[in-house]
Amino acid sequence: MSSTAPLILADGITKRFGANQVLTRVSLDVSERDVVCVVGPSGSGKTTLLRCLALLEEPSEGRVVMQGVPISTPAPNKQVKAAGRAVRSDIGMVFQHFNLWPHMSVLQNLIEAPIRVKKMPRDEAVAIAEALLKKVDLSDKRDAYPARLSGGQQQRVAIARALAMSPKVLLFDEATSALDPELRREVLAVMRQLAREGMTMLVVTHEMGFARHVGTRTVFMDRGEIVEAAPGAAFFDAPQTERAKRFLQQFEDE
Amino acid sequence: MGNKRDLSMFKYQFRWDTVWGSFDFLMGGLQMTLVISAITLVLAMLGGLIIALLDMSRFRVLRWIGISIGEVVRNTPILVQLLWVYYVLPIVFGVRIEALVALIIGLALYQASFISEVYRSGIQSVPKGHREAAQVLGLTPFQSFNRIVLPQAIRMTLPPLASNFVQLIKFSSLGAVISVSEITRRGMELSATNFRPLETFTFIAVVYFFICWPLAMAIRFWERRLQAR
Ligand SMILES: Nc1ncnc2c1ncn2[C@@H]1O[C@H](COP(=O)(O)OP(=O)(O)OP(=O)(O)O)[C@@H](O)[C@H]1O
Ligand SMILES: [Mg+2]
Repeated sequence: MSSTAPLILADGITKRFGANQVLTRVSLDVSERDVVCVVGPSGSGKTTLLRCLALLEEPSEGRVVMQGVPISTPAPNKQVKAAGRAVRSDIGMVFQHFNLWPHMSVLQNLIEAPIRVKKMPRDEAVAIAEALLKKVDLSDKRDAYPARLSGGQQQRVAIARALAMSPKVLLFDEATSALDPELRREVLAVMRQLAREGMTMLVVTHEMGFARHVGTRTVFMDRGEIVEAAPGAAFFDAPQTERAKRFLQQFEDE
Repeated sequence: MGNKRDLSMFKYQFRWDTVWGSFDFLMGGLQMTLVISAITLVLAMLGGLIIALLDMSRFRVLRWIGISIGEVVRNTPILVQLLWVYYVLPIVFGVRIEALVALIIGLALYQASFISEVYRSGIQSVPKGHREAAQVLGLTPFQSFNRIVLPQAIRMTLPPLASNFVQLIKFSSLGAVISVSEITRRGMELSATNFRPLETFTFIAVVYFFICWPLAMAIRFWERRLQAR
């Protein structure tokens, strides 16, 4: 477990659903404090890649490695499964559709996992949750139920819920694309704040502005492959491939 | 001819007093009806759980048993099932079952096969994303089921379970056929002595209606509120 090993690594991941090959030998490493943005057309496999890294899908080939330790492989053995379980809450995920638990208040959503998984005393979990709610500017919604919140507020709660487990890396799957433009901004502001604080993030997004200005690296996926990867704004200023150029053209008027 | 019948209808002398005279007798039957329905509902909820667990079992034999029970029960008339439980089970097991017990067993089995579907759809009504959020946060599958799926599923199953209770109130009238002394049976007995089937059965229909109708309305309201969440 050398200190230079990436925090999380997709190591040659191929994923098939039946005969449909969705990912083809995708390799991607994310180091501490990286903000890697994944862009690409619809159906290119971005969500599937994220789900493999979040251990929601098993790769058909290849592996997921966290700080040098394999945590997911095809037909994992006991050791890999145990390693996966051990780092489970080190990998947080924010979903496109928030997935808050509607029968629980905002506070309950936030303290559930720390109490059940980390066996944290309730008082401590509540204190952490309140601090996180303050951070995402939702202290006044502490006792509200998710259905009472706007989409932007729900997504900020979902981010706070993920942070409550103090993950080492946070995966975002189009966290803003289910939201109206005005509401996107408040969520993007929280994400930018996290990036500034040094949170390691892997962000699937259609927000080219975020990728350009906040991302440390941009990865362009198309048809299940990583076509191009470039640091920061370089991808946008000088795309190397035809496919990437064509993809970026759609956003020119933005 | 039609004229004559209309006339006789017109001249019909209602004798509601024959019903009022036996009011307590009939209300005792109503009490019986409600008690039968309540006991049966509780048993059917347990039975439904067993069938649902069988249906979802990892073992093919158990799944097969669960599915077969459901199919047989749903595709034969409930009256035949009751008669079968009452007359056939004693022959098979050599014990005489009381009509009341037979009625409860038969109804519970019938409702259980529907309630197992209620449970299943309640569980399926919880979006997959809710479980995935739990999984990513590190909750075990058991914790996820217990804390995330079950509370939401129960909320969805309560109105259909209440509807089952209404159905049971109506279906329990079938007990009359095997002489269970619920309200319909008592009505039959009463009309055989007062020779006033019109008043007797009208009264009984009205009683059923004013119990089932408000319940059904309340359930509809309740369901709409759940959907709005
Ligand atoms: N569970 C699944 N079973 C079968 N096919 C799937 C499954 N999940 C995804 N796919 C397929 O994999 C392909 C890639 O899907 P994916 O959701 O990863 O793309 P995406 O890049 O996230 O697209 P979008 O930008 O629309 O979200 C699609 O063709 C999709 O139909
Ligand atoms: Mg997607």
